[in-house]
Amino acid sequence: MYKQSIIIFGIVIPLLIAAVVIGVCAYTRGKITSSFENKVLFYSGYEKSRMASLAIEAKLTRQRADFERWNKLTKQETFSLVTTNLRAIGETLPAKEFQQTGFERLPQSGGFGSVSAQKSAGLKFNFRGTYRAVQKAFLELETRMPNLQLQDLKIDPNMTPESPLLNFEVTYTAWEN
Amino acid sequence: MATLEHPANLNAFQQFRQACALLRETSRATLPAWYQEALELDYQLHIRSDGTTVHTFFHHRSKNEWSAGPPLTEAAMTDPGQIDAYASQIIENVRALKGDSLGVILHIADEFATAELKPELNNPAALPDLRDTSVQRPGEILDDSSVPQDQASWRVIPYPAEGSEVIATTATVSRRMAGFLQAMRSVGDRQDFPVITHALAAPLVVIMGLPAAIKPTEGKPFVTILQYPWFTTMAFFNHHSDIRLLRTLHHRGLRRPPNFRQALATTNASLEFVDPDLFVLPLGGDVDTQVADDLRKSFPESRVETVSFPTVANVPAWIPELALSIEEIPENRIHPSQTFGSMRTEKWFVQDFLPADKEAIEMYPNRNEMRLLSALRLARLGVAALAVIGIAWLAFGVFSVVRQREWAFNEGESKAVKQRLVNLTQEQQRFEHWNNLLEDRSKAWVAMELLPRLFPVDSGMLVLTFNHNARPDTAPGQARVGFTKEWVITGLVRDEALSYLNTLNTREGISARFSEIAKATGNTAFDPTPNTRTIVPNVKTLENGKFKPMPIEEIIDSDEATYPYTFTLIITQRFESADSLAISAAKAP
Repeated sequence: MYKQSIIIFGIVIPLLIAAVVIGVCAYTRGKITSSFENKVLFYSGYEKSRMASLAIEAKLTRQRADFERWNKLTKQETFSLVTTNLRAIGETLPAKEFQQTGFERLPQSGGFGSVSAQKSAGLKFNFRGTYRAVQKAFLELETRMPNLQLQDLKIDPNMTPESPLLNFEVTYTAWEN
Repeated sequence: MATLEHPANLNAFQQFRQACALLRETSRATLPAWYQEALELDYQLHIRSDGTTVHTFFHHRSKNEWSAGPPLTEAAMTDPGQIDAYASQIIENVRALKGDSLGVILHIADEFATAELKPELNNPAALPDLRDTSVQRPGEILDDSSVPQDQASWRVIPYPAEGSEVIATTATVSRRMAGFLQAMRSVGDRQDFPVITHALAAPLVVIMGLPAAIKPTEGKPFVTILQYPWFTTMAFFNHHSDIRLLRTLHHRGLRRPPNFRQALATTNASLEFVDPDLFVLPLGGDVDTQVADDLRKSFPESRVETVSFPTVANVPAWIPELALSIEEIPENRIHPSQTFGSMRTEKWFVQDFLPADKEAIEMYPNRNEMRLLSALRLARLGVAALAVIGIAWLAFGVFSVVRQREWAFNEGESKAVKQRLVNLTQEQQRFEHWNNLLEDRSKAWVAMELLPRLFPVDSGMLVLTFNHNARPDTAPGQARVGFTKEWVITGLVRDEALSYLNTLNTREGISARFSEIAKATGNTAFDPTPNTRTIVPNVKTLENGKFKPMPIEEIIDSDEATYPYTFTLIITQRFESADSLAISAAKAP
């Protein structure tokens, strides 16, 4: 008379309980493993991002001063800045060797500015001067304003015979922010 | 141990708990004696009651030793207090002998009767069923239904002889001693010591053992006359030694049954036995010893013998049942027959007349259930071990995971770092964008440096005009746009400078000059080595229409008429969109 109860409570129910326990363990471990894999992914992404950030940060630390300077430069009004710089440069050169004979703001930017979505301005200058003085002036101007990109440069001899001065016509594209 | 309940009164879980308690707190799972027959056990107490005295003998089966048992009286056998004390004493004795069980065999020699089966049950094939029914529901098979079934016990005894009118009869004894045996078993249960009982009808045991005592005349029927103090049982056998009839005659206060001779004669006649052998077996200490002599006179043609069984030490000769009940197969001096063959092996003569009640037996798990319970306990351990392994596996998994740095990682930090990376990347892109736009791809001072490097002083060449322009490619939709730089230089050249001019007109010649400028100025736009750049020179020379030959000492370098040729040098430098100086077409991010 005991056989049925012995089988039910002696093995069937313990087996069911063990199956449930093992099932719950397997499910829980699966969940934990899955959660851990997600965390590993996040962590791995975090580490990659952190390392990349550090690398970029290190680069930017070196570049930031330049960038700040460029930013400041490109945010200023180009025409007046060029004028100011040329006046300052002209003061450092002999007046007979460097003369600004013309300055024109072009109605629309051509040259490099025409293919870039970045804002730019077109500037055209005329100078008279010696070859080296004008080259020095350009060197100084382009050093002070690296946002100037040469578009056209024409050098012609002066019409006045025996004059050592040359005529320069230069057109720049100036990047603006 | 708590009081046991019949499993029918318990629910399944209570049944299981009770079975587990029995497994845990009793020796039923470890001692096979609980489920063996009393006659199979090593230590046995044989009790023989013949109405005048009670004899007890202790038997050590493995040593085949017999000894006198503790004395017992009929009065003590009905007094529960004395039974408990008696049983406890016996158990203690057996334990002292290192025994782990006791068989109590009661030889009932003070009463014996037969009762006829219902005539409609006269089917030899039904004997096994009849045997079971006689134990469980005797009223269903007895011809006389007036017999009170709670006061007696019946067992079927087959009549295997050919020609028998009935297939069997029933032997019966009263249940007077059932209480004694029950009390003995109860003491054993309480002390967790197997006390297994077996009640035998003494005449049947003697009949079973007849081959050890008699040798009938070949081809003749025979009758055995079993003399007990209170009754005489006659067993009639045909000439094949198969039992035909059992008949019991009570003495009714005399030393022999009244009308014994007539009863024997009429039964012989009814069975058509002619001068059968008559064997007289005295089975009491004070039975009538004149019976054999009287039978010789009454049945002069019959062979009449008083026979006895081989004796065993310490047991009187007139108590043969003890040895007979435990002997395997005695030497067979009788013609082989079903009675002394299959009936012996099928234990028809040693049926238990006073077994434990069915309900008392059902109270405990049977042997198979105990084995199953015991085996399942081990199986449960295995299952529990599996569950523990599962939990340990989980714990190990959790432990090995939570130890990792990644587990404690806060996902919020990842978002913050990613956002920081995005911001830095955008800043980097902005920097790269402006760095690209502000590259030294086209500078006036470097372009001017080209002229003195190509045409040094006193080189025999005079430059008249210099035009330079830089123009981007037309490439809508591209992220980066290439561009082309062009120099157009016109001038005058003497004969001796033509070869130099021709040198400039080669890609190698002009590239060497560009390299020189790149090195001198640090301007990478003049570096001709990247394969994303090409430089193409083109020189055209013509005769100078203004040329006037004059002596060399009169030549002035600035005098255009002193140069025999004019030239036009066009240099085209192309930068592809893949070049590092290509223009970024996008707006600042």
